Amino acid sequence: MNVDELFEGIRKRDLRSVSRSISIFEDDLQSSKADELMKRIYPITGRAHIIGITGPPGVGKSTLMGRLSKRMKETGKDPALVAIDASSPFSRGSFLGNRIRMQDSLRENGIFMRSLSNRGFKGGLSLSALGAVKVLDASGFDPIIIETVGSGQSDLDIISIADTTAVILAPGLGDEIQAIKAGIMEIGDIFVVNKIDREGAFLAMKDIQDTLSLGKSGNWIKPVIGTNSLTGEGLDELINEIDQHKKFLGNGSGRDTRPTSELYLLLENRIRKLIESYVSDDESTADIVSLVRSRKIDPYEASEAIIRKSFGHVGKN
Amino acid sequence: MSGGEYLADGKNQSLFKDKPIKILLAKPGIDGHDRGMFVLARAFRDAGMDVLYAGLLPTPEDVVDTAVNEDVDVIALSLLNGAHLTVFKKVMDLINKRKIDDIAVVGGGTIPDQDKPKLEKMGITGNYGPGTPLKVIIDHITERATEARSRKNRN
Amino acid sequence: MDYDDYYSRKLISLKERIPKENHERELWSEKTLEPWNNSTGYEEGNFENSSGIKSDYYYNSEDIPKDTESSDLGKPGEFPFTRGIYPNMYRGRLWTMRMFSGFGTPEDTNRRLKYLIKHGESGLSIAFDMPTLYGYDCDNDRSHGEVGKCGVNVSSLKDMEVIFRGIDLSKVSTSMTINAPAAVLTAMYIAIAKKQKIPLNQVAGTVQADILKEYIAQKEWMYPPEAHIRIIRDMMTYCTENVPKWNYISISGYHIREAGSSAAQELAFTLADGFYYVDLGIKSGLSVDDFAPRLSFFFNSSINFFEEIAKMRAARRIWATVMKEKYGAKNNRTMLLRFHTQTSGYTLTWQQPLNNIVRTTIEAMAAVLGGTQSLHTNSYDEAWALPSEQAVKVALRTQQIIAEETGITHTIDPLGGSYYLEWLTDQMEERAYEYFDKIEKMGGMLEAVKKGYIQKEIAATSYRRQMRIENGEEVMVGVNKYKEENEKPIGILRISRKAQENQIQRLARVKSTRSEKKVEESLSRLEEAMKNPDENLMPYYIDAVEAYCTLEEISNVGRRVFGGWKEPVIV
Ligand code: B12
Ligand SMILES: Nc1nc2c(ncn2[C@@H]2O[C@H](COP(=O)(O)OP(=O)(O)O)[C@@H](O)[C@H]2O)c(=O)[nH]1
Ligand SMILES: [Mg+2]
Repeated sequence: MNVDELFEGIRKRDLRSVSRSISIFEDDLQSSKADELMKRIYPITGRAHIIGITGPPGVGKSTLMGRLSKRMKETGKDPALVAIDASSPFSRGSFLGNRIRMQDSLRENGIFMRSLSNRGFKGGLSLSALGAVKVLDASGFDPIIIETVGSGQSDLDIISIADTTAVILAPGLGDEIQAIKAGIMEIGDIFVVNKIDREGAFLAMKDIQDTLSLGKSGNWIKPVIGTNSLTGEGLDELINEIDQHKKFLGNGSGRDTRPTSELYLLLENRIRKLIESYVSDDESTADIVSLVRSRKIDPYEASEAIIRKSFGHVGKN
Repeated sequence: MSGGEYLADGKNQSLFKDKPIKILLAKPGIDGHDRGMFVLARAFRDAGMDVLYAGLLPTPEDVVDTAVNEDVDVIALSLLNGAHLTVFKKVMDLINKRKIDDIAVVGGGTIPDQDKPKLEKMGITGNYGPGTPLKVIIDHITERATEARSRKNRN
Repeated sequence: MDYDDYYSRKLISLKERIPKENHERELWSEKTLEPWNNSTGYEEGNFENSSGIKSDYYYNSEDIPKDTESSDLGKPGEFPFTRGIYPNMYRGRLWTMRMFSGFGTPEDTNRRLKYLIKHGESGLSIAFDMPTLYGYDCDNDRSHGEVGKCGVNVSSLKDMEVIFRGIDLSKVSTSMTINAPAAVLTAMYIAIAKKQKIPLNQVAGTVQADILKEYIAQKEWMYPPEAHIRIIRDMMTYCTENVPKWNYISISGYHIREAGSSAAQELAFTLADGFYYVDLGIKSGLSVDDFAPRLSFFFNSSINFFEEIAKMRAARRIWATVMKEKYGAKNNRTMLLRFHTQTSGYTLTWQQPLNNIVRTTIEAMAAVLGGTQSLHTNSYDEAWALPSEQAVKVALRTQQIIAEETGITHTIDPLGGSYYLEWLTDQMEERAYEYFDKIEKMGGMLEAVKKGYIQKEIAATSYRRQMRIENGEEVMVGVNKYKEENEKPIGILRISRKAQENQIQRLARVKSTRSEKKVEESLSRLEEAMKNPDENLMPYYIDAVEAYCTLEEISNVGRRVFGGWKEPVIV
């Protein structure tokens, strides 16, 4: 399918065009097509509310997303889902296991869901996630909910393109919770303690509330909600809080940082590509690499040599 | 695309930038024999593929919907329960009905030799059974995925 | 649940059983072995079994505790039953030759059962088809193409009546490989016995019903674990009172092993399941000596001969010890571990299928030397399809040859006292306790299963084995060594499509002749009972099957009340 066909398909919400378009954003070899497509769809995006769901593995994010989307559908919303799975550092391959956890909700309610792997080259993930979100936005889905594991730079990049970020935790994380809290409290707009059917849930909620009250609070008071994703308990409250936060942002009382983060993402990627196109593994680069391998030069010297070779100088001229 | 030769741990990573082969493993019908699925899922991942598993007891509709939403290159159908001629056909009928020509379908499991030509005729290739080396399977999938990908990327 | 350190204490004492050093072997090694190896150019091979236990060159008396004979071995029919659960074992009575069978229509299966009885089989064992195993009727869309394929189809009581037509239920014992809908099938069996006018206290048989291993290995469930466990509790309490000879559960390691576990994992996870059911019985107010004697087990016998025998001996010892020490059992029958064995289907190859007869023979011998109470031997066409009549016959004859020609049965536990086997038995035992303690620390078996811990352990072992086969470290003759090109397909059993049509027609007849009013009433009574966790469901199931409610109609009530279950991610 060419860009015109894809664009038409996206607008008509033909699912094959939608999913193919997302693939194009995942494939670096198709980046020019991706650029072209982004240019076409960008003007018709910006309508969807983008919700980030993040938190440590196993707390029930995927299960919650499935249920949440089902509930949203029942209340007249039109959600689409994106979930990111970690890939193997060895093979770059991945097991996309998030989908299976929400399959039933998807099937029963005809909800579109797409898995992305957090593979390979730097910045790739956030870019494909941004692509996926834009495509779904352009085909009129609202909200778009995106699941990440909440660690690492690319995850933070993804969260930065969300309007509302819900941090999911669960009881029984033990000491881990302290470490997690340190990194994650900042980025959340809403806090969820899932698995409230389990022992220790209310303590966990209280603990989070206490921590939140210590931090500086802006105009938005960060709520802490208890959910059970197996039964759906607490989901209406969560939906309500998401709506409240959306309203809050819409009033202009909140920050609207999304365009800037998008811009940074795109910019960073552009620059990286530019550098990579200079650096591309030609013979002289290979020579430099082999010098490092034989310990004749160190990696710092090598990188400077490569940059010098490509740009003629290092640093601002 | 990444394929068989990458099965060994730690070999080759991030040097190539194309999108990895994306494959959906599915046992449509009523079959809980998943040992082979988990072996294949891990082997495919270790060979550099993005692997989806449709879970237990998906319907043919589930399988095709997932394949489309996820835009996979390959659907790997597996049945050990002897119902392949009927159940694989249901999947193929849906694929044909939706005019999908850029997803390859490969098969395997407990499939008597006598049935293999029938499956081939439906468009399901491979049809590998017990004792097939993983390398043979991965090479075949890589080949079929490459075909499918080039169909996807045509304009 | 509170952590009980019984297993951890036990483990510590087991590990202290023998000294770390083996002086005799060290001396021998220096004096005899090393010069020999050096002069002949010895290269260390791979002498590791599935459980990761490495064998030494040879074993001697220093490898086993001094008091093994009095404390670990015991005597046949005496605690801890390592040597066998009965004083006379096979001298008194051979194991039951129980061939798992069932295919096509109830008529086909009825004929196959009669054929097996005629050829000397002593107990029946019924295989069901996929729709039946998952609680769907033959006329469901999902069942299309699957009816009668992997076993016999049962959609209503009518089908069970046909399966057992002309077979006197007071004369044979029947084992049914059914799990998620086990209570419904039990109810059907009871209904037939009632029709044959056999008093319920004479009805003997077994349903598998071990739901934990379904979540772990066989993947046949309809509801969340808690719901199935409640149904098991109901069978347990109902049968203990009313059908005392009914084995309402067969705690199965077979499937765990076939799903890819090692022998030690099979041992550990199966017994851990067993202890879970013991806890369940106690929690439901039964006394351990009243119900635990009805618990029986089902193990795999795979191809590593000594490992399998050691596993079975260790199983008996562990069960007896824990039942006595931890659960306070007083009655010997509570402590004995009775078990059925099936040879390993996984070890049987598609390639050069006749070799499978040899594999099965070796595995069957291990089971007999391990002291099994009943045995199924797989057919040589295992990897191709359900067994043909000829293949089943060879498999049954294999058992008869072992039983009646070899003399293996002449004395009890003939390998007992072998340094190697005793050492290996102790090793298996330790590994099992290691897992028990780990599982206990995770909050018990149900938790470990719900988290997917057990499943992941098994998948990891399975993948490791597969990799070893891929790179030739482990040999499968005909598969990765001694291969042959252009093998010819073998003749296989084909299930006619007619089976499906016949079943659908029969079901339609059942539906048109039954009383809809009775159906509705019994289903709604069942639904009410399901909503009340204190109610015992068995009488309601019996009521429903007697009203000719279908298997799926009955199962759907539970699907409505309890919901379904998604398994954790395993890869
Ligand atoms: C292990 C096993 C089980 C285990 C399954 C554990 C699990 N979680 O997987 C247990 C004991 C639970 C089991 C139960 C049953 N089983 Co079973 N089982 C087997 C057995 C012995 C081995 C299968 C296996 O796992 N092999 C190892 C794995 C790694 O290999 P694999 O799955 O074959 O996959 C390899 C290839 O086939 C190929 N492949 C497979 N799929 C695909 C797909 C693609 C696209 C490709 C390219 C390649 C490919 O690649 C893999 C790697 O090489 C086979 C017989 C046999 N020897 O093959 C019977 C067999 C499949 N079972 C059978 C039956 C009947 C059953 C039951 C229905 C019995 C019953 N009535 O209760 C139940 C049903 C269970 C269920 N829920 O579905 C029959 C099926 C009959 C038929 N087809 O006509 C068989 C053939 C045995 C027999 N002859 O009777 N079983
Ligand atoms: N008890 C309980 N378990 C839950 C709940 N939500 C999810 N789970 C279970 O937690 C496990 C992990 O869920 P998953 O959605 O995959 O978590 P993720 O890794 O955060 O995406 C699964 O076994 C779920 O069934 C809940 O609310 N209560
Ligand atoms: Mg997840």
